Amino acid sequence: MTEAEERQKWVDLNMGPQHPSTHGVLRLKVKLDGEIVKELEPVIGYLHRNAEKICELDYYCDSIIYFDRMDYVAAMNMEVGYLEAAEKLLGIPPPERVQWIRVIMAELSRVASHLVWTGAFGLDLGMLTPFFYAFIEREKILKIFTEVSGSRQEVNYMSIGGVYQDFNEKIVQEINEFCDQFPKKLEDMYDLFTKNDIFISRNKGIGVLPKEVALDYAVTGPMLRASGVPYDVRKAEPYLVYDKVNFDIPVSQKGDNLARFLVRFEEMRQSIKIVKQAISKLPEGPFFNPKAKKSLMIRLRGEGDVYARTESSKGELGVYIVGDGSVKPYRLRVRSPTLRNLSVLRYLAKDQMIADVVAISGTIDLVFGEVDR
Amino acid sequence: MISVAEILEETKGKDGRRILKVDKDNFLQLMEELKEQGFDHLSLITAVDWRDRIELVYHLHNMENDNYVVVKSDTLNNVFPSVVHLWTSADWEEREQWDMMGVWFDGHANLRRLFLPESWTGHPLRKNYDLSKVQYINMDDEGNDYATFDPGDGW
Amino acid sequence: MNVLLRLANFFSPLTHYIAYILAYFFETLFMLIFITISLVAVIYIFRKYMARLQVRRGPNRVGKFGIFQMIADMMKLVQKESILPKKRDDLPYKVAPVVVMLGLFLGFALMPYGSFYYIGSLTVTHSSVSLVLLIAVIAIMPIGEILAGISSHNKYAMVGALRAVAKDVSFEVPMMITILALVMMASGQTSSPLNIDSIASSSRAFIAYGLVQPIGLGVFMISMIARASYSPFDLGESDSELVSGHSTEYTGMRFGIFYVGLFGSIFLGSMMVSTLYLGAYNGPFSGDVGFIYLVIKTWILVLISFTIWLSMPRIRIDKFVNFGWKYLLPASVINLILAGILTLGWSL
Repeated sequence: MTEAEERQKWVDLNMGPQHPSTHGVLRLKVKLDGEIVKELEPVIGYLHRNAEKICELDYYCDSIIYFDRMDYVAAMNMEVGYLEAAEKLLGIPPPERVQWIRVIMAELSRVASHLVWTGAFGLDLGMLTPFFYAFIEREKILKIFTEVSGSRQEVNYMSIGGVYQDFNEKIVQEINEFCDQFPKKLEDMYDLFTKNDIFISRNKGIGVLPKEVALDYAVTGPMLRASGVPYDVRKAEPYLVYDKVNFDIPVSQKGDNLARFLVRFEEMRQSIKIVKQAISKLPEGPFFNPKAKKSLMIRLRGEGDVYARTESSKGELGVYIVGDGSVKPYRLRVRSPTLRNLSVLRYLAKDQMIADVVAISGTIDLVFGEVDR
Repeated sequence: MISVAEILEETKGKDGRRILKVDKDNFLQLMEELKEQGFDHLSLITAVDWRDRIELVYHLHNMENDNYVVVKSDTLNNVFPSVVHLWTSADWEEREQWDMMGVWFDGHANLRRLFLPESWTGHPLRKNYDLSKVQYINMDDEGNDYATFDPGDGW
Repeated sequence: MNVLLRLANFFSPLTHYIAYILAYFFETLFMLIFITISLVAVIYIFRKYMARLQVRRGPNRVGKFGIFQMIADMMKLVQKESILPKKRDDLPYKVAPVVVMLGLFLGFALMPYGSFYYIGSLTVTHSSVSLVLLIAVIAIMPIGEILAGISSHNKYAMVGALRAVAKDVSFEVPMMITILALVMMASGQTSSPLNIDSIASSSRAFIAYGLVQPIGLGVFMISMIARASYSPFDLGESDSELVSGHSTEYTGMRFGIFYVGLFGSIFLGSMMVSTLYLGAYNGPFSGDVGFIYLVIKTWILVLISFTIWLSMPRIRIDKFVNFGWKYLLPASVINLILAGILTLGWSL
């Protein structure tokens, strides 16, 4: 049979934007040969709000809330990413204590994001129960966020040169309690997945992403580390106080679904380790830079261009700001990690079964606020 | 680094990154050289609209020895050479810049809009884009989105 | 004495024929009431049990402990507008839920229920080939699902129906072979080995067949899980891949029927396993409370099914087909050979 005849048999299937497994508004145009996906094209943009344009129209201090709404499951990470760039551009370094607070919050946020991923990945594979276990733990983190910022998800906690509110005794105690009880729950969840033969058989050797392809598609974060590149911005280009805490980068050489699963779980363990160290090392001091008091905030002017990279829960988050000396950024560009990670789905999904494509797109950890911005 | 491509200017940015300024004609040659030097990771393509010209900023990264370089270039006629053949990740990056900024990348095989529907008027991140004109998106019978100025046609 | 004769006696002041007509009518009615109550209970217990496993509360608003939640849900489903797809094949689309329900109720009608105090035997159908009939009627339900999948002209439904066919083919052959082994063994015990009732009562003289044929019990249980198609074998309606498989285009009460059909087949499957392999209604004083034994055994199996459902991810279709032909089929053949050896040894 010629290729053209072969193509005649293929069935077009449109998965999404309203589909239970697409994590929001991903639309996949799929060509099926029986159960096997022959071609796949992601269609994105259903949640596009053009945050870059909105940020251009706003003062430097106002853009933070739009970053919250990009990766809404790991809002603290996004705030850290934006502030790294904005503070460099405006020349307002945060005090020591703020840096430690930001590390704690970013790591807790990373754990929360990975927990959402764990639950959703279980659902993709048809496991109902782990979802609830993951979300119960996540709820405890969100409670801490509520305590410090007054809001669960779109926290708007950090501001230029500082944070909205200092840690008090109660919050420190809550974080300590969380860190004490969480590892056991995490291991329970880990056993629930990895001691299940069907789970292993659904993930081992499925969706293998070789190292070269991962680099070619600019994949970052846990996906890249699962493909055997031990690269983490927290180690390679330490921001905040990540050079003062002790943690490991989990790496796997396999590059399949299971490797990505294991890397994310190990990252959660490492994050808790970081939070524990940070909370014990938390220095005293002011929680904002006096140069960025509330009344001065909208008069901050920046000139030149700055690019800052941070490690968000999904991968390398880059923020590029060009200032023209006015109170608003002239151009703001976000390197969203998930968009690059999603682009590799075309490669991974080829000649896989539908069930595997759903599992693979689950391991990418898609959050559409960030992909579409 | 010995480069055949003529580099107009080499500076250090506010964030301590090496910035190479290059002419549009020498751009592709420089990128090929950089790729050969081991810059295997095209991190970001940014187009900046300076009203009279469009500046393109490429952030390149070498994963192995953690080298970082920023390449800047200008275009006056909104056309720029594509680097898809060097880094596959440039595919969506360039589509996004075409979508948002209206820079036509020469040599990109499939340069369509990434986020917005194909019939969208204008490129939103341009400084002269009219924000007061609302466009509505609707879906035709074949499942493709289209944009229209008519509020009755959209939902 | 069985329930039919009791009813006929009760109506005997009327003439003979009318008494029997009424007796049959009421017998069927009682059975339907029992099935309905059981299904509502299965769904309620499932939701409560799922909530307990997932550290939630479950239904707790309608009535004490949310006991009337199912009735409220059913009323909601009945009131809902049935949205019909434009390109459907009208007749099969509308018949499909009925076919599913029909297979389910016929299956329940053929089960031997044991006896209960004064009433005596509760078994509805007395046939000497009821096992063959039962296997025939439970094969009706997949037909309904396939009809639904193909007639709604939806690609997800279509793929779901195709998967359901592939799944059914791969577990039904091993299932039939295990039943064959069972019949072979029962033929040494009773003169009518194709009657479920006599298989069930012969397991009193014998020990429960599940103890003698553990492989057969395993294969049959897996087949029943696959038949009811819940996780890990919910390939037909796998909600994260195919939206909802064959029932994607169904709304309102028609969808409700598919939903009830799923739980019904869990209950029916558990009942079949406990009848055929776990000694049915036998136990101490089974002449009086045999029915209770059957219900208890069935419920234990239902809870085991729920635990499997809630803790397993979905298996991939090609792996399931492989599993069916490469593991279940040889296992059932081995079981058949062992059963043959045991039966011959028994009669010698």
